Amino acid sequence: MLFNSVIYITLFQPIVIGGWYLLQKLKNPVWAKLFLFGMSLVFYGYYNASYVGILIASLFLNHACSILLQKTEDEKGRGIVLWIGILGNLGLLFYFKYFNFFIENCNFLLHTDLNVEKIALPLGISFFTFQQISYVTERYRRNAAYRNFLDYGCFIAFFPQLIAGPIVLHDEWLPQLDNWRERKKTADDFYAGAALFILGLAKKVLLADSLAVLVNVEFNKISHLDALSAWIVISFYTMELYFDFSAYCDMARGIAKMMGFTLPINFRSPLMAVSVRDFWRRWHITLSRFLTQYIYIPLGGNRLGLFRQCFNIFVVFLASGFWHGANWTFVIWGLLHGFAMIGETLFSYYKKAHGITKPILPEKARRLLTGIFVTLSFSVFRSDSPNDAALLWKKLFAGGYNNVIFNISHTLRFPENYALNEAVSLYAPQYTDALFLFYLLLLLSFGIFFIRGITTDEWITKKGHTTFGAFLLATLFAWCFISLSQVSVFLYFNF
Amino acid sequence: MKQICPLKKLILFTALEMLFLFGVVWIFDPFYQYHAPFGDGKAVLYDRDNQVVGTIRNFSYDSVLMGSSVAENFDHSYLENRYGSRMIKIIKSNGSLADLLYYLDMARENHILNNVFWCLDLFALESSPIPTILDGISPPAYLRTKSLLDDIPYIYNKEIIFEKIPMQFAYAQIDKNTGGNAYNWAEGKEFSAAKAKQVYQKPKTAETPKDFTEEKNNLAENLALLTKEIATHPETAYRFIIPPYSLLWWDYAYVNGILDKNFYLLEETLPTLLAYDNVELYYFQSDKDIVCDLDNYMDMIHYSPQISQYMLEQLNGDNYRVTKENCEEKIAEMKALAKEITENDIYKYYNTRIAVQIE
Repeated sequence: MLFNSVIYITLFQPIVIGGWYLLQKLKNPVWAKLFLFGMSLVFYGYYNASYVGILIASLFLNHACSILLQKTEDEKGRGIVLWIGILGNLGLLFYFKYFNFFIENCNFLLHTDLNVEKIALPLGISFFTFQQISYVTERYRRNAAYRNFLDYGCFIAFFPQLIAGPIVLHDEWLPQLDNWRERKKTADDFYAGAALFILGLAKKVLLADSLAVLVNVEFNKISHLDALSAWIVISFYTMELYFDFSAYCDMARGIAKMMGFTLPINFRSPLMAVSVRDFWRRWHITLSRFLTQYIYIPLGGNRLGLFRQCFNIFVVFLASGFWHGANWTFVIWGLLHGFAMIGETLFSYYKKAHGITKPILPEKARRLLTGIFVTLSFSVFRSDSPNDAALLWKKLFAGGYNNVIFNISHTLRFPENYALNEAVSLYAPQYTDALFLFYLLLLLSFGIFFIRGITTDEWITKKGHTTFGAFLLATLFAWCFISLSQVSVFLYFNF
Repeated sequence: MKQICPLKKLILFTALEMLFLFGVVWIFDPFYQYHAPFGDGKAVLYDRDNQVVGTIRNFSYDSVLMGSSVAENFDHSYLENRYGSRMIKIIKSNGSLADLLYYLDMARENHILNNVFWCLDLFALESSPIPTILDGISPPAYLRTKSLLDDIPYIYNKEIIFEKIPMQFAYAQIDKNTGGNAYNWAEGKEFSAAKAKQVYQKPKTAETPKDFTEEKNNLAENLALLTKEIATHPETAYRFIIPPYSLLWWDYAYVNGILDKNFYLLEETLPTLLAYDNVELYYFQSDKDIVCDLDNYMDMIHYSPQISQYMLEQLNGDNYRVTKENCEEKIAEMKALAKEITENDIYKYYNTRIAVQIE
């Protein structure tokens, strides 16, 4: 199920939140937990019930590992259980996410003709797999207590974070489940959750989906682009991805907050980053944390010398690339970030060795350069193949100028501008191009304004609680709701 | 003064705004789901899939004009004046008999019908006897059902609010798709031989006649449904109009081995319908001046509004009428024309035969 769907907003969310609070009034908390777990499975299996089976199988595997770790005392045995858990999780992920990709590459490299049926990728498998690897590892390290299957199921399948994160750690969520009844829940907290949800919905439906209209059309005809239009298209995509992911994070946190839970922040104005390292401290924060805790540090982190540190960074970003999808474009994207991070690491060593303490460039310049790098790397991320990415880069740097910008701006047709478009085409057709160029610049300006502006949480704290704030939220909600007749999916569901 | 909790304000504002949107859509109601236009307001009809159900349920009428897209350009106000009736158009793009009968049943729920003008497509006679409307795609199920609960995609839809309502206003101002021009799509279309030929690449060889057992079965079931409708409503006058398709359509049938099937449809249908006293039948397909002049068409079957008007005028004069007496003669006439088309007339527009000879 999607957060941005009529069925979710009108039926699922009121039922699940209402039911959760009502069942908490019963003496035995098991009923509320059973309800939450059941509804999370309904949410997950809404479009494809077979996904539920995969999720439950994965939950059983990890819960079995947790039981075995509870019963096994010797380190060797515990190590075997840990590896069974990790390999089981990775095996499941490999089968559903990478098997087709693996066969394709085998066929290409070995000139074979292996044929396998296309395996459908279950939603959010990368998220719940990583979350469970983290849990099993922490169980092995004796940092996590044993939890019964219901508690564990509620934790992993908690629907606001199930499909696109954040990747929540056991000690962030399970204690909240334990002391839910003791914690005070106020109407203000609920309001803040509702506001987060609405602002997230608006980012998705009004901004990301509007930007996607142009992006989806133009990425299918890269060869027609000139340099200016190519830069516009990749800038639109970067903003689309930004608002899409930011929207999901806000909505997930908002729903959790309405239910009395706090999810970790996963997104903190990443396009305001002043370096690639800074970007990864702001973009998909919980993935960076996972990769740091479970790959970078176990490999030695920065403790084994500069060369080894660079190698570890390389491995982390290679894994990040693969995690995002079974396509070489994701791997290249990951490696671009990896090399940029290695470059920054070497540069910081150089600065340290030469006693340079101040940044070489002013903050605005560093922010701009980071933004350009991130935008260029996302152009590879969005491309269907490395060849498409290469063609796009050719257009970006040697595409010339052919007035294509006017053509691409004409894709920006929405119900909201229908009446104006018709009026202009009827009474002043000579201004039609200018009108669509205006839309393009308007969307670009809106994007930049919101990227540079205050965060959602800051807005809710400062202005959200006023009468005008409530009115604005209600209006945004109504506007989003009437935009849901054509539902679009979140980009991060694919990862 | 005690501050109102922001959550209550949010709920209040949201409820008011949602109510306002509901009110706007209910009042303007561009698909006429809830009511016909208020007072002297003009009905603007331009979207058959979404508006037909609303007009059937909520408009006031005693006659209907039915058919596929070839019936859309008929100015039904001409028929209203001629027969002194109030009429709506009931259009289903594929012209499927089962679909149109489904609509007819819907119309009879609240209306007594004096006249049914049915532009009967030959290809519709072989279509599935199960209504495609029930799939819930075209029209969407929420428009077909009477429940208000499933109307959210209509009431809370920005295309309705920002596009359809302003369009309704604008069209009413310029009298587009109003009155007898409901669903008329001819504006801006080119009717010419050059345009019509774009849709048909004449093959160099003709296929042998194909088996049409399935189509025979469909025809039998469709005719059973249709005759049941006619027999159970003797108070209604049914006027079937068989529209003139271009010579491209007949040549296409010939080269694809389905000409025999088309004549079978004709030979079975005409006598079956003529057996009923409340049926009149008008056959335009054998008019060579229309059919063999491609300037009357934009593709194989869609003729110009002038032809539509000509047909209505002929109806008025009781011309082109098929009766029990001349039925066989009319079919023989058509067979002769089809032969003439496939052997001679088609080559006024295509030189395939010459090309074959050169090869």
